[in-house]
Amino acid sequence: MSQQPRSGSRARDPDDGNLSLVDCDVHPYLRDEDDLIPYLPKNFQSQGVFYPKGYWSSPIGVPREDAHPDDGGPPGSDPAKVADQLLDPFDIDYAILTGGGPSLAASTLPNTYYAGALTSAYNDWLIDDWLSADDRFLGSISVATQNPEHSAKEIHRLADHPQMAQVIAGSATRIPLGQRNYWPIYEAAEEEGLPFAIHVGPEGRAFTNPPSGAGYPNSYFERHTVLPANFMGQLVSMVLEGVFVEFPDLNFVMIEGGFGWVPHVLWRMDKNWKGLKEQAPWLERPPSEYVRRNVRFTTQPIEEPEKSEHLLQIFEMMHAEETVMFASDYPHWDGDSPAHGLPPLPEGLSNAIYHENAQELYGL
Amino acid sequence: MTTNTNSAGSGGKTRHEVCPVSELPPGKKKIVQVGNLTIGVFNVKGEFYALANVCPHQLAPLCEGRVTCETIAPEVGEYELIREGEIIQCPWHGWKFDIATGNSVFNPHKLSTPTFDVAVETPPTDDDGEDETANEDGTDVEGSDQQAEYGTELMGDQPPIDTYEVEVEAEVVVLYV
Ligand code: FES
Repeated sequence: MSQQPRSGSRARDPDDGNLSLVDCDVHPYLRDEDDLIPYLPKNFQSQGVFYPKGYWSSPIGVPREDAHPDDGGPPGSDPAKVADQLLDPFDIDYAILTGGGPSLAASTLPNTYYAGALTSAYNDWLIDDWLSADDRFLGSISVATQNPEHSAKEIHRLADHPQMAQVIAGSATRIPLGQRNYWPIYEAAEEEGLPFAIHVGPEGRAFTNPPSGAGYPNSYFERHTVLPANFMGQLVSMVLEGVFVEFPDLNFVMIEGGFGWVPHVLWRMDKNWKGLKEQAPWLERPPSEYVRRNVRFTTQPIEEPEKSEHLLQIFEMMHAEETVMFASDYPHWDGDSPAHGLPPLPEGLSNAIYHENAQELYGL
Repeated sequence: MTTNTNSAGSGGKTRHEVCPVSELPPGKKKIVQVGNLTIGVFNVKGEFYALANVCPHQLAPLCEGRVTCETIAPEVGEYELIREGEIIQCPWHGWKFDIATGNSVFNPHKLSTPTFDVAVETPPTDDDGEDETANEDGTDVEGSDQQAEYGTELMGDQPPIDTYEVEVEAEVVVLYV
């Protein structure tokens, strides 16, 4: 099958059975957050659904204005509307549902028991309301990273669901994700053959560290711009702490934290490794090699350099043919169109980013 | 340091006496100038080695760094120090090199610093009274002050009581460049 590079260069022969597009970041919204209450254990039901919100407010809103379901619910809250507006028109084979609201913010809750219960409730709701609605939806098992023991149990509880494709947590933490207290999560994910993903958003809420080490940003604009700072910290922690030495089959997915910074961090890790490797002697190879082997990055929000050929250079520097997967972030304001978000890509790279890397990662 | 051409068994290299063995005990190093080369001479547990005093990274004076060890990990989170005293660590960015081979620790097959031949020898008797602290080209060598007290002159006025011991004392570290 030959494809001409074009904007959003994808083409699928509908008869050949091959995938053409996997969208690695789609957010299912709750119609009403109280819908989770019946899924909570009895002891927590009277407390309702609560989690740290706000902190920064976007003047243009976070969801897309044009994504409200026809009956007026919140954008992204109706599986049929998501199919109509995203999956069907763009011929998406699979959409990885990455949680949102309470599920991603659960990692910021001070009450670790409630945080665990909230993610379990969300997972059950997701299965009932979304995974059963359309088999193109693949779910993520939400976990609360500050409760690794519960997280590991949750992974084992749901890993057998045929549409659960990965484990996910919000990227906000008190301590970096590579440290050993989190390892029960990675052990469980590796054992079940599921990638572990983090998604930006809740940084700085409640007891977690601010979006960058510089401190709390002033505006949503400032906070949204520095979100990759957290991802840099998490990636370096995961690699240098030896997570991928201890769990060589664990894949780590970094969603919505940008990727223009990846070459820089890879070079910096490899350079420091030469002089400082005695502090991480368990790394048998240069750190960047673990990233190429074990870590994947999603495209949205696509980097938009002055010249689009610079994006191709970044892709080359980070071995995007192995490490990058397409994501739209539907229905958010900063999402990327599957057809027009990325500039034209060479055919091999296009196939890798739009579907092959995700196919391989998620076993599709 | 004494320099002369020794064509026997050293491939036409030039012979440079570095210092008496007694000045370079195990664990110590000496940095010497040979022509326009600077070379670090090391005694590692009784074996002598010589490395170019130049780091292949950004040309720092490699041999001025710490003599140290390699750190390995039996398990993630555990540290084990091995090869203590066999590694030189560049004083600038910390790259480590195996003193015996000049190979870098992190990329031994691709990155290394040059090595030179070293030997321990009893110097040939020299009665012509030439100044032996300068190289053939007249350049002084580092550490040459102390070396004037040793060598053949020391044995001049006081006949050795125990010939064997004096000969051991008189052994010198020799560099072939
Ligand atoms: S100059 Fe030696 S490590 Fe950089």
